[in-house]
Amino acid sequence: MNRAMTWQPWQEMRRLQREMERLFGDGNWSWRSPLGGEYPPINLTRNDQNITLQVLCPGVNRESLDVSVVGDAVTLRGERAPEPNLSEAGCHKQERLLGTFMRTVGIGERLDPERTQANYRNGVLEVQLTRAPEATPKKITIKN
Amino acid sequence: MATTTTMSRPSTRTRDKNDAIAVERATRTVVPRVDIYETDTAYVLLADMPGVASGGLEVTADRDELTIRGHVQPTMNTPDYQEFELTDYHRIFVLTEDLDTASITATLKDGVLRVEVPKHPRLQPKKISVRAE
Repeated sequence: MNRAMTWQPWQEMRRLQREMERLFGDGNWSWRSPLGGEYPPINLTRNDQNITLQVLCPGVNRESLDVSVVGDAVTLRGERAPEPNLSEAGCHKQERLLGTFMRTVGIGERLDPERTQANYRNGVLEVQLTRAPEATPKKITIKN
Repeated sequence: MATTTTMSRPSTRTRDKNDAIAVERATRTVVPRVDIYETDTAYVLLADMPGVASGGLEVTADRDELTIRGHVQPTMNTPDYQEFELTDYHRIFVLTEDLDTASITATLKDGVLRVEVPKHPRLQPKKISVRAE
């Protein structure tokens, strides 16, 4: 009998199992954005002095990471390439997202691009933003 | 294709007090996303665990189970706008006896854990040299 025609029940079962895992997932992806999905997910913290943007983007090639500030918007770009020396043919499971991403976040306050700092540690990008001088809150003294 | 590595949900067995604590912790963890590759000599597991420093990582192989855990430093301040929460990670994989669990290596870089589980030498392809007569 031609090998291609042979029914291989165990292989079929494994294929079904993989299909089920793909459809229903076998994990709890709660770290993903609850808003359904722009990648990468972000957290934003503001205080009187500065604004901190935290970006969850593990395994990004550092040289591809790019943060730019224009007006009140921050644009994040990066790429996660597949691991070298691991071929597609030997892949048993693929859940991680690969490829390039770009996301623009409107902060709602004018920013100073010259005073922006970013560092990437443990797969989390942290961007320290500074308000533009004209957007810094000024204390108004009230006269009689 | 030989599926030597299979997945399972975190175990809920309660054997002793330590296990009970582990189960309690497991309720507050997320399952990291993984890729699994097979090469001629090993299985390679890549797991996304952003926020985990190398000191917060735990990889254990016990009999037929490979467990990965990642602990993240909780942050004190709540963000004004939040799309993600950094939580501890936990996932268990089932290993078969065809793997050399004594030689497992694990590295962590930029929030990605890479675990390499070598195949038993007897299962690795051998190059047979042919002598010319």
